[in-house]
Amino acid sequence: MLRHIARTLVKMIVTLFVIVTLVFFTTRLSGDPIDYVVGQGITQEDRELLTRYYGLDASVWVQYLRFLGSFVDGQFGLSFVERRPVADIVAERIWPSLQLLLAGISLTIVTAVPLGILAAIHRNSWIGSAVMSIAFVGYAIPNFVLAVFMVLVFAFTLNWLPVVGNGTPWHFIMPTIALSGALIAALTRFTRNAMLDVLSQDYMRTARAKGLPESVVILKHGFSNASITILSVLGLQIAGLAAAGNVVVEAIFAWPGIGDLLVNAAILRDFPVLQFAVLVVAFAVIIVNGAIDIAYAFADPRIRLGRA
Amino acid sequence: MTRLLATTAIATVLASSAFAVELTVGAANVTGYVDPGRDHSNVGSQFYYNTFDTLVEKNYDKLQGEYRAGLATEWTLVEPTVMELKLRQGVKFHNGEAMTADDVVFSLNRMYQATFPPYQVRSRDRLANFEKAEKVDEHTVRIHAKREEPLWETLLNLQQVMIIPEDYTKGLTGDPKVAENDDYEAFSLKPVGTGPYAITQFVPGETLVWERFADFWGEKAPLDKVTVTHMSETAARITALKTGEADLVTNIAPDQLSLIEADPALKAAGSATALFHVMIMNANHPVLKDPRIRQAMSLAVDRDTLNEALWLGKAIVPSTHTMEDFGPLYMPELKTFEYNPEKARQLLQEAGYKGEEIVYTSFPTYYTNGLLAAQAIVEMWKEVGINGKVNVVDKWNGGDADMMARNWSNPMYFADPFGSFGVMWAPKGPSESEGRFNTDEAYAASWERFRFSKDVEARKAAYAELMERISQDPPMLPLYRPFESWAMNKNVTWAPKPGHIPYVLDFRAGSITFASN
Amino acid sequence: MANAVFGIPATLPGFPAGVRRLWRDANGVQRTALLVAVLLLIVAAFAPYIAPHEPTAQSLIARLRPPIGFDRYKDGYLLGTDELGRDVLSRSLYGLQLTLILAALGATIGLLLGGALGLFAGIAGGIVDDFIMGAVDAQIAIPFTLIALLMLAIFGSSIEVMVLVLGLHGWEQYARIVRGEVRRLMAMPFIEAARAAGASGGRIAFRHILPNTVSPLVVQFTLSISNIVLVESTLSFLGMGVQPPTATLGSMVGIGRDYMPTAPWIVVAPALMILLVTFAVQILGDWLRDRADVRLRGR
Repeated sequence: MLRHIARTLVKMIVTLFVIVTLVFFTTRLSGDPIDYVVGQGITQEDRELLTRYYGLDASVWVQYLRFLGSFVDGQFGLSFVERRPVADIVAERIWPSLQLLLAGISLTIVTAVPLGILAAIHRNSWIGSAVMSIAFVGYAIPNFVLAVFMVLVFAFTLNWLPVVGNGTPWHFIMPTIALSGALIAALTRFTRNAMLDVLSQDYMRTARAKGLPESVVILKHGFSNASITILSVLGLQIAGLAAAGNVVVEAIFAWPGIGDLLVNAAILRDFPVLQFAVLVVAFAVIIVNGAIDIAYAFADPRIRLGRA
Repeated sequence: MTRLLATTAIATVLASSAFAVELTVGAANVTGYVDPGRDHSNVGSQFYYNTFDTLVEKNYDKLQGEYRAGLATEWTLVEPTVMELKLRQGVKFHNGEAMTADDVVFSLNRMYQATFPPYQVRSRDRLANFEKAEKVDEHTVRIHAKREEPLWETLLNLQQVMIIPEDYTKGLTGDPKVAENDDYEAFSLKPVGTGPYAITQFVPGETLVWERFADFWGEKAPLDKVTVTHMSETAARITALKTGEADLVTNIAPDQLSLIEADPALKAAGSATALFHVMIMNANHPVLKDPRIRQAMSLAVDRDTLNEALWLGKAIVPSTHTMEDFGPLYMPELKTFEYNPEKARQLLQEAGYKGEEIVYTSFPTYYTNGLLAAQAIVEMWKEVGINGKVNVVDKWNGGDADMMARNWSNPMYFADPFGSFGVMWAPKGPSESEGRFNTDEAYAASWERFRFSKDVEARKAAYAELMERISQDPPMLPLYRPFESWAMNKNVTWAPKPGHIPYVLDFRAGSITFASN
Repeated sequence: MANAVFGIPATLPGFPAGVRRLWRDANGVQRTALLVAVLLLIVAAFAPYIAPHEPTAQSLIARLRPPIGFDRYKDGYLLGTDELGRDVLSRSLYGLQLTLILAALGATIGLLLGGALGLFAGIAGGIVDDFIMGAVDAQIAIPFTLIALLMLAIFGSSIEVMVLVLGLHGWEQYARIVRGEVRRLMAMPFIEAARAAGASGGRIAFRHILPNTVSPLVVQFTLSISNIVLVESTLSFLGMGVQPPTATLGSMVGIGRDYMPTAPWIVVAPALMILLVTFAVQILGDWLRDRADVRLRGR
């Protein structure tokens, strides 16, 4: 067991290192930040002056060593654009992103799980078909289309909901729905399939044969057995979808989160910010994946007992 | 000091108890740093005038330069190249310190004798003629120019030479006696000036909060508090206005104006901005070496139609690189750019153009209507037989040898052709240095007379020569002065003042009224 | 019920038995999806013949005209005109075509790349396996939008680059599937028998393993087409995708969003098409998975 955890941890660290290195070198290929940071129309002389000032005249390897060195002081370097420690900038952004993500996950769970169970129980009636059709449509709507239409209807036309930032609970409604729309659809389908799997198992029949009420059978025996699968799927989906979905949703709703930061840093070639923000997101995703891995290990006796 | 704090506290209490006037601004862009010295961007220029003062003020209600006392109360030339200025007394910085001659000398020399690389850049392109500032006594400073300067007031009114506190700045990092680069970097996050509003909260790129500065030397600010928030999406800005999240929003494109007009609770204010959107052409690209081809590229563009279609006719299409703001140097009689597809076709033929592809590069979103204009221009080229193609890149490629044509803007950094055309198209200036524009001795000679003649007529004649050169061997075509609009709630009365450089958010006394609630 | 609604006979004379069986097994939603998919494919394939105008032909004096039935409608522009006076219908049709081509190419590249790496990792095992699966983990950990942004920033945004970028999307899924399948099969007696009989690694891969992975790969391929349509749309929406004047569905929505309150028709047609494509493909993919599931179950 410990060996498994240790192995997982080592893998996580190696993956992070690889990501950081890849991002470092690809950003260096993506253009001269001076073109973006200082703007247009400076003489060659001034360009060279600023290149030196920003430390971009050093060779890529020296810059790479400096970059690794910047981990030591905990500031992760200075932003090219804002001229303050990258750690400060990213730190400001983590909490809003996390809030939005948590809101999205909560909404996903409270809607998708009941819908999925409903669809599984009524798989042969119109209820099941209706739920699954909605789920398919939900999955098919890109989150930016959903966001843009919601803004038009609920903010622009009806003036019900605010659109900018994260000031009040009202601000959460549209971004949360936009973010979790596809997640809900996906999880509804997974829940339904997992429940169908479970419902066809022998122990379900046994439970029914014992004369337990149907709701107890489904919730206690069915759902609790399906929940492991559902949770693991949810973890993966969150890691993948949320990280990407955040970028668009945060951009549209001017949400001061890390996705918004990433896009802007990529556009402005603010390398120090970009590198660190990628690292943070990757770290979060890897932690979630690693946690799932370890949780699996606990659940799976073959691994727990060290036989695999 | 204690007493001062006490009075400030009382003043604050009084101000807030009586019906605080708070304005929220939704801005398409919020600056990443606040440092008037290094900055000349359209984003930054929004934020300096409320926060800082210059020695020489201007009557911004007037289009043309009418200078008046700012932090200096009077100024005289004591020698042909030496200006002596008397400083206003009783001026306080936002941190409570009194402004002294040392602060002024420090502020000026941080530019005139710049050591901080970002300052050096700005110093070279517009302040190269200034040698140094020195203190004469506690209330007097002298500024030494290298050559006789025809634009003294103009160049003392620049954003770059706004006054900042010396001790505060030097003390921000490292040795408190020395102005290190890091001091200036730190200043740009914790700016302190003498203006009517103090910046009390600043999250770079996201939020900037101004609060009324009770000890401002002039007429006190009309608003208690202004919060500027970043709202990058156009739809979001307009929606925010409708939902009451913002009282005033920036950058409304002409296409969106009908939405504002349709809502009885809202209104818009706008003006043709003091900058040109230009098309630049690389004079040294193999395909474009023949000036006739570039002339044809320029003659093919129907700028009036662009104006009608994209700007609802509200932009200003210039006959040459001139604008009314230049005052005596405004020369609408010069006609160096026109639409003439016949002539374009003829020139192409003469030049032996064989249908080589000509790429027009555009930023995706940076300029309002920039990408739309790019696509329309390429269609107009097609009309005269130019095989054009739009290339959308988010990067400035004006220095690349293979750049053929692209969009750019030439803002008016100060109200003189030198501050508009001059900054970018001077001999050895950015355009020539980037290798897409060539000058020779004759151009440099005209430039000399234009820049340094004391006589306005001589300057005008020289500028006309420069314009003629530009039209003969064109490196660019000014398309139009874009029409820029701000939208606001009906209870806000604000409009961009004609005397400002583009995009300034001027909330000083007399510039804005806001009937809150 | 669906038959009654759509008036379609349950048996289709003149079609091969396989297609007929497929149709018979399908429920109403699935049949609709199939019809929508076929219709979209036909429309996309014949876009140049159906479109009434050149997709890039501008008319600056007729900008932002509404669709038929509204005030200021301009004759011949059924779905109205966009911000440069171009025909929204024609641009949507060409946009659909390009979007589908990009998606198909992207998914194919992803399949080939991921499949090859997965196969290689599974058969070679050891350090090669660790390395490739490490790359898979890394790919999963970086938001794909960001990888795409970086690639587009480095190489510029052209259609060719876009295809490559989209090809990188989802390769890790194929790699995982194939590798998993390989590892499972390698332990099976019939592979061991083949090995014992002296078959080479390549022969084992092609004769014994690949055929067994076809079914899950087909499912993944179908699903990834709709994912790629979404990714392409998202990138174009963010202004990083295929650049104007060329239209894709996503870029039309992206650019049109600024005109939503004043000229919603610019966005509606392409947005609806994105929805139809992803909807149809998702359902078909799911259906295929269900059919394959009989085999997959219990693994």
